[in-house]
Amino acid sequence: MSGMVRAGGLAARSEPTRASEVRLSVEQVSYAYSPNPSQAPLFTLEATSFQAKPGEIVAILGPNASGKSTVLKLIAGVLAPLSGRVLLDGFATHTLPVRARAQRIAMVQQESQLLFPSRAWEFVLQGRHPYSRALHFESDNDLIIARNALAQVGAEHLSDRWMDQISGGERQRVILARALAQQPLLLLLDEPTLHLDIGAQVDLLEGLRRLASENRYTVVIVTHELNLVADYADQVALMQRGRCLRVGTPAAVYQRELLEQVFQAQLSVELGASGRPRVTVLSQTP
Amino acid sequence: MRSLTLGRVAMRCALLGAVLFVVIVIALKLGAVPVSLYALARALVRVAIYQTSELPSDYRLIIFDIRLPRILLAVFVGASLSVAGTSFQALLRNPLADPYVLGVSSGAGLGAILAQVAESHLALPSAVAVLLTPLGAFVGALATIVAVYFLGRREGLVDSNTLLLGGVITASFLSALIMFLLDTVVGRDLHGTAFWLMGDLSTTQQPIVSWIVRFGFFLAAAAIYTTASDLNLLLAGEKEAMHLGVDVRRVRIVVYVAASLLTGLAVSVSGAIGYVGLLVPHAMRWLFGSDHRMLIPTAAFGGAIAVVIADTLARTVVAPTELPVGAISALAGAPFFIYLLRRRLA
Amino acid sequence: MSSASRTRFVAVTLSALAALVLCGASSLHGQSATQAPAAAAQFRDVVDEAGRAVRIPQPVLRIVSLAPSLTETIYALGIQDRLAGDTDYCDYPPEAQKKPKVGGALNPSLEEIAALHPDLVLATKGLNRLDTVLALQTLNIPAYATDPHTVDQIISSTLRLADILGVPDAGATLAADLRHRLDDLEQRLINVPPRRVLFVVWDEPLISVGKDTFIADALRHAGAASIVESTQGWPQMSLEEVVRQQPDFLVFAESHSPTGSVDLDALASRPGWRGLEAVRHRRFAVISEAVNRPAPRIVSAIEDLARQLHPEAFEQKAIPTTRLSSPVSSRDESYFEETCACVL
Repeated sequence: MSGMVRAGGLAARSEPTRASEVRLSVEQVSYAYSPNPSQAPLFTLEATSFQAKPGEIVAILGPNASGKSTVLKLIAGVLAPLSGRVLLDGFATHTLPVRARAQRIAMVQQESQLLFPSRAWEFVLQGRHPYSRALHFESDNDLIIARNALAQVGAEHLSDRWMDQISGGERQRVILARALAQQPLLLLLDEPTLHLDIGAQVDLLEGLRRLASENRYTVVIVTHELNLVADYADQVALMQRGRCLRVGTPAAVYQRELLEQVFQAQLSVELGASGRPRVTVLSQTP
Repeated sequence: MRSLTLGRVAMRCALLGAVLFVVIVIALKLGAVPVSLYALARALVRVAIYQTSELPSDYRLIIFDIRLPRILLAVFVGASLSVAGTSFQALLRNPLADPYVLGVSSGAGLGAILAQVAESHLALPSAVAVLLTPLGAFVGALATIVAVYFLGRREGLVDSNTLLLGGVITASFLSALIMFLLDTVVGRDLHGTAFWLMGDLSTTQQPIVSWIVRFGFFLAAAAIYTTASDLNLLLAGEKEAMHLGVDVRRVRIVVYVAASLLTGLAVSVSGAIGYVGLLVPHAMRWLFGSDHRMLIPTAAFGGAIAVVIADTLARTVVAPTELPVGAISALAGAPFFIYLLRRRLA
Repeated sequence: MSSASRTRFVAVTLSALAALVLCGASSLHGQSATQAPAAAAQFRDVVDEAGRAVRIPQPVLRIVSLAPSLTETIYALGIQDRLAGDTDYCDYPPEAQKKPKVGGALNPSLEEIAALHPDLVLATKGLNRLDTVLALQTLNIPAYATDPHTVDQIISSTLRLADILGVPDAGATLAADLRHRLDDLEQRLINVPPRRVLFVVWDEPLISVGKDTFIADALRHAGAASIVESTQGWPQMSLEEVVRQQPDFLVFAESHSPTGSVDLDALASRPGWRGLEAVRHRRFAVISEAVNRPAPRIVSAIEDLARQLHPEAFEQKAIPTTRLSSPVSSRDESYFEETCACVL
């Protein structure tokens, strides 16, 4: 157990995993969704596989209804795979009890629905819930961890503000801070850039990059932002209509014909100086 | 940032407990028959040192046989309704939820009416007859709980919105049934039912019934309190709560059953006293915040205080005639709700 | 144990203790309730008309009445000075209004009743709640309930009540007088076909009385037959059905309050009501509200109604009767003078 926890650090707690070992292993997972058992499934996800190490950012990329969110939910253990399995440090995520799962996996979704608004620090403190017993009142350690989480996302100045009185980008940061307070091994983000302007989007990804490397998180992002993924992801899984077409580095996956087929648009792909591809959408009119 | 601690919860509860004590003493003093504060104090002291035989029989009868049981009943009914209201507001993620939104009170009312009809047609010994109405009410409440629970399932899981819809529909249906029964079968046999449907604490309860109400309250409230921090998270959204380690299914079942039990017990002895379960949680949230670890116990005290005051008013305002408690709670509740609403918007 | 969990342990234990104490808090009230008053020398065990066993201390010196009909009966039996308290609605005879009040019939104040130290509380099943009676039982205050459904039962109920209250002779005399008047009526009406009537409790909605009520029985004694077949207590009638039946007379009970009485003059101009022959020809019978109360005074209302419906049966010399000089009878005669002008 890492000594950093006691000092309120946010490093991923885990059994000693060396940096080079695989942490997340998605092995041939498939899924089928049908609201009515007698009908044919409305949606199917075919066998999908990839792996991720600590410190890595994996992007699940694809257009709408490609199955990205389903893959994320399977990774999160919320859905049980029809076949195959998702292993996090050797444990199948779906079989973990809810508490244990929340101590290892943190999910960042869009806009939280707040019925009775709370202050930012209270909100972040919710991230400590997986570690509390019934009738638990937060300890000083919990408070330190929460404060650190806010600091790590650059939102310490928002600590006392009410959640319904800050901007969308600021709220997104606080939500991320709550996820960090869970001290997870795996950080999952579902379309985190949807409501953000470009500056905020870059801020977020920069932050994730830094957090992943500093705290040894494994980060999985679901998105359709081609260029953000190209700049920040270590691996990309390209999805289309429930099928995973390719997994690899952005340079390996961003093949023009493939992208055009998946995104149904005319594109041009160039390799930048850093070795990362850049995609430009070509307009129809000459 | 100052997080919630047990000490702070205990202090607020102690404060509210003191207020409740004062309210109870005042309620003991007031009534159709005047009792001086001095006489009351002397009587209480005598009781405390177990010299009950020294009490003038007048006071013994009025204070301890009539007023005190009624006040204690008000305490537990108020506490039960408030905790149930808080729970349903969290469970259904709806600030307008009250203990009756899922139809439990209509079910209890129907059960009580059927019990009263049965009782007037059967010749039962008094000991059984007197238990029939609260029993019928409680059975009605339980049946409604089970029915609405199954109505509220979608794809095998309980869904808040479906539950709410199912409950509202059930409540309407049962209320319509009650109206039908009152008009046709019943007639002049059940004059007391009008009182009961509005909320009435004037009927003396058998000791066993009082005991069950109190014991049931502590049991159910404790069960709900163990899920207090889960409820905090549930309010942010069920999916998020699950990702934060809340066993949503288990919490839903525990809270649903316990809160319905509280409502059923309260309604079976006092009828449907309105506005308490809706407003006391909001008032306590406004005073002490929305953390359920603080909210649940303070709501319990707040509800007890509110119902004791309402009941005291009900039996003193136009003494010796009594008004139904529900009338007082409605008259006071609506303006208070408007006030709270405006404060939040301001 | 860390200090946090120690605090929690203490808090939980204290709360549990407090809970246990509160659960049993009211057990002390059980003590006082079970100490029976040592003063009363004798008791009498009776079964009241609701089938409950009641233990009544003898003699009965202080009575609380929870129904206007019972108050009237007490006055009729001449023991009104033993009446310690009655309800807000006990207004006949007028002196009854000056008695200490205990609230309404449905929701009397238990405190007020208890403060009056009654030996016996009188209730009636048709008006009072079982809860009230049971609550009094818990407080060791005996409550006796009557439950008359016919005029004969009203009389026998009065007789039994007189017996319990220790004035069997007054009861016998009163009962004899009432029976005599009813027999007289029966004699006069023996060959007269009953008039078909509708007893109107309220006009909108149209509410009448069921055939099993004492009011319907009273109508029968007055030579009237209610057209209502329903077994409910206060059935709501459809005006169309009533028009189809065309009762000979409409019977109304007078009420003190202006809002309580039906405006007979306006009735003829209302649609639907005009379809009734009885309305067009103004065949109304208005009698005292005594018909609504199962008390001795109902016989006067019956007689009054009989005179209005069958005036020809009363043209002969009146058969001499012995009347008690009680407030009930003298008011009778003034009613007769007031109401006979109403007929046609």
